[in-house]
Amino acid sequence: MKTKYLLPNKFKRIGWYIFIPALVLGIITWAYNWEPAFLELPVWGITGFEDLKDASGFLHVRENNILNEILGVLIILGGLFLAFSKEKDEDELIATIRLESLVWATYLNYAILLFAFILVFDIAFFQVMVFNMFTILVLFIVKFNWSLYKLRNSLANEE
Amino acid sequence: MKNNIKVQRAIQNLTQAQLAERAQVSRQTINAMELGKYVPSTVLSLRLSKIFSVAVNDLFELEESDWE
Repeated sequence: MKTKYLLPNKFKRIGWYIFIPALVLGIITWAYNWEPAFLELPVWGITGFEDLKDASGFLHVRENNILNEILGVLIILGGLFLAFSKEKDEDELIATIRLESLVWATYLNYAILLFAFILVFDIAFFQVMVFNMFTILVLFIVKFNWSLYKLRNSLANEE
Repeated sequence: MKNNIKVQRAIQNLTQAQLAERAQVSRQTINAMELGKYVPSTVLSLRLSKIFSVAVNDLFELEESDWE
């Protein structure tokens, strides 16, 4: 049984190198509202500036600090590399663990989101959504690697 | 589902690592099957049957709980 759509194993290492620094920088950027001036650049957007329904900004250029865009892209790409690269010893048992971890992460992600959806409002909820872009990847990566760690340390049964 | 992979492995004088290599799975998978924690796919079952030269039915056995 082979899992489709997985990347080659070497992407996992690349994923760690991209994901962890981008995530740390992302959290720092968020915590300190860090927006370095040299990244204040004209950008081209396909929707309104303030509101998806606001047609006036459609296909217009505006100034925006692109640090959060850069970090968001790196976290997502690094996270995908990390989550969906083959293990060196990828086989059907690992495929099963992968699926179980993904189900677990999806449930927990939506449990957190439901909780926040009901109890958090306005800009605070927007911030929840910002985090929610990444939580499913983070939860899956933690759960899957923890399960693999336990599996690889369970070899007491030899001979 | 019960299996006697461990017994067959002893008869053939194979370590878990050697069997894993021949069956093209990780050593953890062999270990998990021997402990009854993992039920292998049909393909892996047939590979094991071929490696041990034993019929699949003699390698694995259904239990009552497999019907629930």
